[in-house]
Amino acid sequence: MSFLIDCPHCGPRNIYEFRFGGEVKPRPDENRVTDEEWADYIYLADNVCGPQNEWWFHTRGCGCWFAVTRDTRTNLPVICEEKA
Amino acid sequence: MFREFVNKFRRNRDRRLWRKHPLQKSYDAVIIGGGLHGLGAAYYLGRDHGMTNVAVIERRYVGYGGSGRNTSIVRSNQRSKENIPLYDEGLKLWPELMRELDFNLMCFNCGNLNLVHAEAEAAALKMTVATAQFMGVKSEFLTPEECKKLVPQLDISDRLRFPIVGGMYHPPGGTVRHDAVVWALARGADKLGTHIHQLTEVQGIDVEDGKVTGVRTDKGIIRTPIVLNAAGGYSPTISSMVCIQLPISVLPLQAMVSEPLKPFLDHVLSSGRYHAYASQSLKGEIVTGSHMDPWPTYNTAYTSARYLKHQGEALIDMMPCLRGTRFMRIWAGLTDMTPDMAPIMSDSHIEGYYMDCGWGYFGFKSGPITGRYMAEWLASRKCPDILKPFSLRRYRDYNLQRETGATMYYTPWN
Repeated sequence: MSFLIDCPHCGPRNIYEFRFGGEVKPRPDENRVTDEEWADYIYLADNVCGPQNEWWFHTRGCGCWFAVTRDTRTNLPVICEEKA
Repeated sequence: MFREFVNKFRRNRDRRLWRKHPLQKSYDAVIIGGGLHGLGAAYYLGRDHGMTNVAVIERRYVGYGGSGRNTSIVRSNQRSKENIPLYDEGLKLWPELMRELDFNLMCFNCGNLNLVHAEAEAAALKMTVATAQFMGVKSEFLTPEECKKLVPQLDISDRLRFPIVGGMYHPPGGTVRHDAVVWALARGADKLGTHIHQLTEVQGIDVEDGKVTGVRTDKGIIRTPIVLNAAGGYSPTISSMVCIQLPISVLPLQAMVSEPLKPFLDHVLSSGRYHAYASQSLKGEIVTGSHMDPWPTYNTAYTSARYLKHQGEALIDMMPCLRGTRFMRIWAGLTDMTPDMAPIMSDSHIEGYYMDCGWGYFGFKSGPITGRYMAEWLASRKCPDILKPFSLRRYRDYNLQRETGATMYYTPWN
């Protein structure tokens, strides 16, 4: 299934140009984080069945990371939210 | 005339594999997911532990999910010492299950041939072979010429984009008819008294004082002290009802079948490098699959043109005789992938809440045996030794399993 992602630099492009980067979640403070908290941060996910805020990387394009909201049931709509 | 019709109707009704029951107000245990793992657990709960006041809750119908969408391959040549004994026991269970359930599961132990296309891959494969042999599982390393003896249509020349360097042959593996397994287990569980509730959606799990007390469904509330999450691709969704996050990514795995051909392939052929595997069904179709688009998607109508092209090219390269073959059907199944490619069979901080998930694309071959051990766990409330390495706790302990070398390693990150 092919769909488009709206890259903040390049505009709507084919999904296969991008790499999925995981759910958007708060990064723990690296100076204070415990081992358990760090494991939770790297492994655990919400796995939302519906609209999910997530990171994408434009591998075969501008090479920029950005967050989008995508419905994991339909892969639509894809709304560009912020630049990183 | 009318009487004849009524009799025919009655006969058909009696032939149904499992009965319909009204939803009771309480059960001794509720299993979420009417697939292979859920029904397996329900069947063994009744058979081995006398727990028959059990409900299996299925949102769609029995076998709708991964249980009916996999490519029906069984094998036990996994990578690590924790996994091999479980899969091996599972593989030996099929003939026993066929007799016991009185259902033709069409077990076909044709053997698996896993091809490699580079010296480095061959070295890794030899390690897997050695591990299997050490654990008492039949497995051997073959040269390209020996591979061609098993599958004469294989092209072992240098013409290939990735010439074949060797193969891992696992004789006891093969295929088992997946629908039959689900139906047989459902009938077996039903005969023992388990209630199977199809078209019933779990909407919440009630927890009081750290203990499971019930399950809320769209058909009513059930009181129960034990809940097993065996929801496959939807296990994270169920898990979120008790606020437990899982280290799972739900990716749709695509598979397809060709038009029926004369019998020519009597092994399960797979290649990690080409990213393709193929077997010939008893109807003559080439059953092939393996592509996952690496981002989470909850959609089983998910198919991609990119995958069709890739799969066609891979198959024709390895077996040129398939040129011109048409594909008939294509579908997808949800896989609950974990970072270490090993499943999660675990209890939790909530008393009475158990999970059997994270099977990725190994859920079929391991279904009934897992059901047996999970039933033991649920009934005795004590974790069987063989399941101890699969606890959810292992991620927090950074003690991941070494299973990523077993086959194609899929995460959203590659």
